[in-house]
Amino acid sequence: MERLVRVAEELARRYRILYYEIRITKVSASHLTMQNGQLEELSVNTEIGIGVRAFNGAWGFSSANDMGRAEKAIETAMKIAKLSRGDSRIYLDDPTNDRAELPMKRSFLDMDIEDKLALVKEVDSLLRGSSISNRSVSYGDGVKEQLYFNSLGSEIETVVPRIRLSFSVTAKGGGDMQIYWKSFGGTAGWELLEGVDLTHWTAFAREKALLLLEAKSPPSGEFDVIMDPELTGVFIHEALGHAAEADSVKTGESILAGKLGERIAVEELTVVDDPTLPGKFGSYIYDDEGIKARRVEIIKDGVLVNYLTDRETAALLNLKPNGHGRAQSYNYQPLVRMGNTYVEPGDWSFEEMLAEVKRGLYVIGDKGGEVDTANGTFTFGAKEGYIIENGEIKEQVKDVALSGKILDVLRSIRAIGKDLTIEFPGYCGKGQWVPVDDGGPHVLTRAVVGGLL
Amino acid sequence: MIERLIGILERENVEWELYWEKSRNGSFRIENERLERSQRKFQSGIGLRVGYRGKLGFSYITGLNHDKETLEEFAKRTVKLAKVSEVPFRGFPSEKSPAKVKGLYDKRIDDIPFEDAHAIARDFAEKIAELKAGRKKYTLSGSLAFGVNFYGIANSNGIFLEDRSTGMSVSTYAVKKGTKTGSGSYYQSYRSLQPFEELEVAVEKAVEEAHMNYMAEKLPPYKGELLLEPQAFRAIVGIFLENLFGDNVYHGRSRFTKIGEKVSSEELTLIDDATVDGGVGSYPFDGEGNPGKKTVLVERGTLKGFLLDETYARLLGIESTGNAVRDFRTVPHVGTSNVVVEPGEESLDDFEGVVVKKVFGEHTANPISGDFSLTVELGYVVKDGDVRPFKDNMLVGNVFELFNLVVAVGKEFERVGSFYSPRILGIGKIV
Repeated sequence: MERLVRVAEELARRYRILYYEIRITKVSASHLTMQNGQLEELSVNTEIGIGVRAFNGAWGFSSANDMGRAEKAIETAMKIAKLSRGDSRIYLDDPTNDRAELPMKRSFLDMDIEDKLALVKEVDSLLRGSSISNRSVSYGDGVKEQLYFNSLGSEIETVVPRIRLSFSVTAKGGGDMQIYWKSFGGTAGWELLEGVDLTHWTAFAREKALLLLEAKSPPSGEFDVIMDPELTGVFIHEALGHAAEADSVKTGESILAGKLGERIAVEELTVVDDPTLPGKFGSYIYDDEGIKARRVEIIKDGVLVNYLTDRETAALLNLKPNGHGRAQSYNYQPLVRMGNTYVEPGDWSFEEMLAEVKRGLYVIGDKGGEVDTANGTFTFGAKEGYIIENGEIKEQVKDVALSGKILDVLRSIRAIGKDLTIEFPGYCGKGQWVPVDDGGPHVLTRAVVGGLL
Repeated sequence: MIERLIGILERENVEWELYWEKSRNGSFRIENERLERSQRKFQSGIGLRVGYRGKLGFSYITGLNHDKETLEEFAKRTVKLAKVSEVPFRGFPSEKSPAKVKGLYDKRIDDIPFEDAHAIARDFAEKIAELKAGRKKYTLSGSLAFGVNFYGIANSNGIFLEDRSTGMSVSTYAVKKGTKTGSGSYYQSYRSLQPFEELEVAVEKAVEEAHMNYMAEKLPPYKGELLLEPQAFRAIVGIFLENLFGDNVYHGRSRFTKIGEKVSSEELTLIDDATVDGGVGSYPFDGEGNPGKKTVLVERGTLKGFLLDETYARLLGIESTGNAVRDFRTVPHVGTSNVVVEPGEESLDDFEGVVVKKVFGEHTANPISGDFSLTVELGYVVKDGDVRPFKDNMLVGNVFELFNLVVAVGKEFERVGSFYSPRILGIGKIV
């Protein structure tokens, strides 16, 4: 390690590199998947690799997973940076020296693979039931130990554990098939799963899948919609979060470019990204640029007050980096990414909200989404929904997808609930995959529903 | 080193399979018309599967240069996993001749010095800046990548295969901002080094699309005949294909259970073909050493085949279609190679009516019920030769119904990466 620091210093002098940073990462992970009672994967692996970034007005990056190539990777990144000669700027801070660890009460590293297998089998058997044609269970855990150092003299060692369990059931009947699934996860140890009532949630998923077989297709067109906390989470992540990532602001592509300080939503809306929330799936201590993670208010009382930034976009926009430069692994360059994104609670009860809706939909659960940050258009899927008529919940609908214009929907919010929940672990893709979490309370707004009727 | 590892494994009383890889790639990102990020990555590793008394163990190591001790420890660890694992082992393929596929390797990409690749990227950035000069309202970005991959597979049934391939890809993105906003993008990948003009075309196409997108308005709700361009049809085919994956069929996650069912209008023929010369999804052998094949999935409306790796082929009692996809970090799983929608007989060039060019959000669709609601990124209505673009609508429907309602298939196909399709005329709904 000390040798690598010396090598890096020497090469930086030789190639006249303004700034460099090096990440050496070790990940120990286990993964088990089971389908219809049959174990499909059981793997335990450890991987070490190095990623080096050098800056000379533009970035050079090189990575290797054969540590015998570590010095070569350092030299390659610096050579590329020297070759590139751009005129961008980056934020240079004071050196940080730290060692930090996200705690596990009960470490999954100390557990036998047999115990993890027993859990997977238990979930599989709990999912059994008539008219269920498929049961799938997936368990994964991993500890990421990362050593970060840069040319400013920072040396940061972090240890971040992550655990995740998800399961799905496919119900078959009446010529139709429907899936329902549930995930649990966080930056925590085995204790996270011990706290999950598996009997309740497996029965819940099974019943939902069966009920969806009876559900009808939703109507299409523009409607009042009440989103549940899970859907509020994906909505705020897709519709607002991505547009607030400063790399798309830098290129002028984001619909939020140049809008800092402007009111872009209703006054009641406050949106936060906070990677420091204890135990959440998208939490971390330092980002992959050696900047400490911190809570960022993106929208405060309806006004756009912050972008999510990294070293480069912060310098460009005259802001401070707020610890949102994240990389999928040592093998990738950091990009501006979210951590845990959520809508702050308001003061509406669900019943009051419901009473506001003459004809609309109550949409529940996240089936993923996508956004076009330039046009400000988003789409996302809900696991299920219900028709609302004159303030009353009526029949169930299936395969609901919503679409809308970011700024229109933010301005159309009519009510924000009291009930905040942030426990919807998932992965967000943007050329790279990183773990994230999101959530919020129930929210009433208007959107286009892509139904079949 | 692979031979040494094979020697170690042969001393054990197990069945084994090794998959090794060594890859190198250079990629470049141009933002605001300037080359901002350049990178060069090296990756190598070995994945090992061990079968022991009907059970399977898997693990991998990174790097290809290891001492004897590390290799022995790696083999021992994987054998131990097979002993405790409860993953059923269905057997490895036996030796077969790989398919003959031309044009998957271009020495010019393998040999290109990084400095030269960097210079091409810089020229690309300059070209983008030049094209931007006359267009104040536009922001242009792009990326360029070159890669080479050496890989091999060996197993205790006598398979020992090695090959190499190259790749190049280009993508561009344009945003036009004025009183409103429009965006356009273009992506293409290749096996061989492309002339610079190909990069210029990529920029022009993104700019053209951004302009069209800028002009686009929301279309009033519409139901009836509509033309799907290849990129839009790709999203629909992707939803349908989920039902043809052997693992989904076996595990009750597919709409289909047996071959011979009528699944679409007679106009449609859908093929998975790993043997297309120069195809970016082509390969001589798959991730388990089975030869790459041309597999007819749907022939004139009738279901003819599923996509299979060795495991699910054995479970379903049919032969593998050579569709095992993997890298050294993963066990093989069922995937596609090149997906080809066969051209039909209609010339749909002068079609007048509603055309959908691009959609997004297909991962929110439900593949087994078939219902989808996709955001229209760009579409247009052609009337009396006049083209009126639209966006912000949703294309909704059911994939199985839409497949049954295909009225005509265009004569010429277009390629986007590993997907080949003509224009498709069907019945649908825009909301």
